[in-house]
Amino acid sequence: MGALGHFLERQGIPTASISLVREHTETIRPPRALWVTFELGRPLGIPDDPDFQRRVLRATAELLERTDGPLIADYPEEVAEEADFTGWACPINLAPQATDTLAAEIDRLATWHDQSVARTGRTTVGVSGLDMPKAGGLLSAALAGDPPPAQTLKEAIDDLRAYYLEAASAFPDPGTSKKRKAWLWDETLFGRALLELQPRLAASADPQLRVLGNLTLIPATERHRLAKA
Amino acid sequence: MVKRLSDMPEVEAHHLRRIECPTFDDTPALPGKPLSQRRIALISTAGLHRRGDRPFRPGDGSYRVIPAGTPARDLVMSHISVNFDRTGFQQDHNVAFPIDRLRELVEQGVVGSMAAMHYSFMGAFPPDAAEPHARHLAGLLKQDAVDAALLVPV
Repeated sequence: MGALGHFLERQGIPTASISLVREHTETIRPPRALWVTFELGRPLGIPDDPDFQRRVLRATAELLERTDGPLIADYPEEVAEEADFTGWACPINLAPQATDTLAAEIDRLATWHDQSVARTGRTTVGVSGLDMPKAGGLLSAALAGDPPPAQTLKEAIDDLRAYYLEAASAFPDPGTSKKRKAWLWDETLFGRALLELQPRLAASADPQLRVLGNLTLIPATERHRLAKA
Repeated sequence: MVKRLSDMPEVEAHHLRRIECPTFDDTPALPGKPLSQRRIALISTAGLHRRGDRPFRPGDGSYRVIPAGTPARDLVMSHISVNFDRTGFQQDHNVAFPIDRLRELVEQGVVGSMAAMHYSFMGAFPPDAAEPHARHLAGLLKQDAVDAALLVPV
């Protein structure tokens, strides 16, 4: 991110960036940065809180009037952990069973995903251009030893991940996003499939599948599950 | 809540420490008009684009165009990294791409106006791959009479 500040400002476009990782910004030294302490992926802090977001954006924009860069300003507001609800439980039985399949699980979530789309008016599914049964089919084929090209598989998996998490956000008691992410890894066949797929991709003869397996399949925070899988 | 790397869970901090950051000679911060007279573009590195546009690929230093009137329902994210939260964006696109907030700052008179076009890169780019695209983009921003860019990471 900081590199773009150098590239654009050198071409005559003044820039101000939000910084999520202060240590990176201290190394890159872009012309102007506002350091925030928010979760990675949430540079404006809090979803559905326009006032909070506007304050962060305004503070970033106001840095444009300073010419004493490279500078890093510290944003004063912090975001509290999302309130946790104890007793959060999945309203439909998604626990893996011997007779269950990934295809059936994807199908069961469709009505919840529809609820999510109806409520928010949007979905972030749709990078791969595949419908979810087809995306699931590619994942199953990869597990069976017949993977599609790495980019196709990556897009299908990212769409499935968004589909699962959006569906879970429409459950009667959706809990926190942290709980929903834990649910994906702990309780779904999809999460289990990704953990089973990782060592196979990592051992693939195709270098792009190896990159997918080693770097962009399992989040760093979930890799401890690989040893157990 | 995230603070410094030393305050993060070690597994996450370790991942972030491993990311190589380029170093640059300092770039002078350019002077400009008062904020209330500037025309501003948003540039995200979240790997955002309209559904149907080319998804980002590993090593991709190019950008995608997001016209100011793009409905939120048309926005998708194809960043290659899995190491940041996407549920915030799924809930509210403005938490990663604050286009509606920029519009409000213009309505309030804080910012002069907003650009006709906004942009997204995919932040995991090698700097050498992005630089030619960024130089080209600077020319296009000037054509759109843009006075400044706000850079928003994930």
